[in-house]
Amino acid sequence: MTLGQGVSGIRLENWRTWPARAVRSWRRSLQFRTIVVTLALSLFALLISSFYMAITIGNDLFQSRVSQAQQDSARAVESAQNLLDSSSDLGRANSQELMGAAREEIARTASSAMIAGYRAPGQEPSVTGPQDFENVRLKDVVSDEIRRLVQDNPDEQWWQSVSLPTANEGRVPGIVVGSQITLPEGSRWEIYIGFDLSDTEQTLLFVQRTLFIGGLTLLILVGAVAWVIVRLVANPVRVAAETSEQLASGDLEVRIPVKGEDELATLARSFNGMADSLQAQIRELADLSQVQQRFVSDVSHELRTPLTTIRLAGDVLYDQRSEFPPATARTAELLHTQTQRFEVLLADLLEISRYDAGSVQLEIEPHSLVHLAEDSIEGMASLAEQKGSDVRLVAPGGYSDVEIDPRRIRRVVRNLLGNAIEHGEGRPIVITVDSNEQAVALSVRDYGHGMTEADAQRVFDRFWRADPSRKRTIGGTGLGLAIALEDAQLHGGNLEVWSRVGEGSCFRLTLPRVLGGEVTISPLPLPPDDADGLVETADAAREKEVGV
Amino acid sequence: MNARILVVDDDTALAEMIGIVLRTEGFEPSFCADGSGALDAFHETRPDLVLLDLMLPGIDGIEVCTRIRSESGVPIIMLTAKTDTADVVKGLESGADDYMVKPFNPKELLARIRTRLRPASPQSQDQLQIGDLVLDVAGHEVRRGDKRINLTPLEFDLLLTLATKPQQVFTREMLLEQVWGYHYKADTRLVNVHVQRLRAKVEDDPDNPRIVMTVRGVGYRAGAAAAA
Repeated sequence: MTLGQGVSGIRLENWRTWPARAVRSWRRSLQFRTIVVTLALSLFALLISSFYMAITIGNDLFQSRVSQAQQDSARAVESAQNLLDSSSDLGRANSQELMGAAREEIARTASSAMIAGYRAPGQEPSVTGPQDFENVRLKDVVSDEIRRLVQDNPDEQWWQSVSLPTANEGRVPGIVVGSQITLPEGSRWEIYIGFDLSDTEQTLLFVQRTLFIGGLTLLILVGAVAWVIVRLVANPVRVAAETSEQLASGDLEVRIPVKGEDELATLARSFNGMADSLQAQIRELADLSQVQQRFVSDVSHELRTPLTTIRLAGDVLYDQRSEFPPATARTAELLHTQTQRFEVLLADLLEISRYDAGSVQLEIEPHSLVHLAEDSIEGMASLAEQKGSDVRLVAPGGYSDVEIDPRRIRRVVRNLLGNAIEHGEGRPIVITVDSNEQAVALSVRDYGHGMTEADAQRVFDRFWRADPSRKRTIGGTGLGLAIALEDAQLHGGNLEVWSRVGEGSCFRLTLPRVLGGEVTISPLPLPPDDADGLVETADAAREKEVGV
Repeated sequence: MNARILVVDDDTALAEMIGIVLRTEGFEPSFCADGSGALDAFHETRPDLVLLDLMLPGIDGIEVCTRIRSESGVPIIMLTAKTDTADVVKGLESGADDYMVKPFNPKELLARIRTRLRPASPQSQDQLQIGDLVLDVAGHEVRRGDKRINLTPLEFDLLLTLATKPQQVFTREMLLEQVWGYHYKADTRLVNVHVQRLRAKVEDDPDNPRIVMTVRGVGYRAGAAAAA
């Protein structure tokens, strides 16, 4: 019982999903759509032709039956009239017998027992004449209309479609044919003969059923043919679609099998041609990339070795500069510092080429972002002191270890802090670290010059400088922020900037807790809380910080 | 006696410059410009330390390093122009004690060389026990029972440092400072690679170490001395 209900429930549910599934199939399957359209159009054509055929056949059948009934009736009435004319008895009993004989004659000739006879009105009532007679099946069937027509036109034959009662209360179609006969004594009688058309209707029904079954079979056949043909066409198209999907997802080796020389084969051939050239170009690019990587590696070795010699030589001279005349001593100093600068620039260049070549790999080590920030602040303390900036660390969160490459992230933080100190105008710098479920974030906020929006947008561009005329103390390479952004993105995080002229800048680094984790919301706000309409607060904070 | 140092580098200018720096500091440098001659030069000069460029014509530096290591525990400092992880790790795994990335400055180079050449810090004890091993401090020897285990001076230093304070857990940074002489944050891969090499020599089952134990998230410590 329960099972039965369960099953019917499932079935009901399935039924409910059918329209949605049909709509989806319509949208997504060419095959489904084509078959549905084919079936609908065939059904339409079949309906029209069947309807036409059914009507024509029905009409023909009816017409022929009617004319047959008319002939039968005419023949019957004629032979009955002949019978009557050949007798000359005028007696009452005789006229009744004659009528009986005529009835038998009619029934025999017309092969129908449904006969009714009425004495035509407007004659002298006869006491001796025969009574009106009526077959039970014709009771109330002969309408006044036809009777009037028969009465008014004694020499003509009239017919009418009627529905005849059957023995079991049903009704069958039939016709009634009416005409007049004259008894020898001179009285006129209307004679009506009923013809049962149920056999004709049977024939019609049979024809209709045949038409219906034939139509249905044809429809199924058309559907099957459409299915086969669509499969023939759609299958290669689907194969092509799947193959191009595979190709798009990076499998460059896939090709469509070419069969025959038809349009589909042409499609396959041109697709394969496209894939070939795509593969060739990608291979070429990959080769180029390898060349690039090897070039970077070669440059690395080739430049670094002479640079090492220069460095060693410069340092040897630098160590002995106290023994040189002043000009030479200064030269040794310049050589020393510029060699260092060259070294940093070379290192940055190589680093960025490594990113471009995609050959950078993270060395993940669980590390606390707060501790890392503390280290970096400590490392930059002397520079900050030089510029008079007070570096504050505010860390509501971010103490637990997260999956980062500490070497790279330390470099990012040092870079941001270095920039803040350089552009911070000696005002306080606030480093904030916080975390949420997904991510940790670190922001470096300075209250220095700030930048215009256009400048802020270009701040991560390579070799871009906010203000070329500004004096630089750290001697950055112009690649620092570009590398920092690459580092952040390599971790699956991001590095963003907010800045406003006169209000300072804020750089925010957001990193997922787990490498490859998703970050939807950074734990820290950007623009910072003290920006935008909260300028007073910022000023107050600045004053307070400066005061301290 | 001045320490002899073999400089294997195909760049003659750099080799000469390194020679100048070394002579200034009282070392006795000798030179070799390619990989194939490196081993002969090594046999000929019997240096106290080798400075070995990673990229060499003929046999490359890693191969030279492996060959020298197969016959001697002499300290090897790799000079490399590459900072790519794979190259550095390959060099360390082939037996180099330390590495320097070009360009380096002379002070750093001298500091590295001195650390590798310094005599082991004087010990109060002649013999130390770590796990089932016995360390003969004066003889620079390690024995398991009667069997002598060959360790390079660096590996011996590493084991000795751990054995001296068996109760202490050493972080990688501490080991870098005490064994390699780094006073700033350096590459902890140095420690990882050499602990692996050391374990391969002294452990019965390197996958299940009993001598050099890992303390997860912190560093390493010596295994408990065997009761026997």
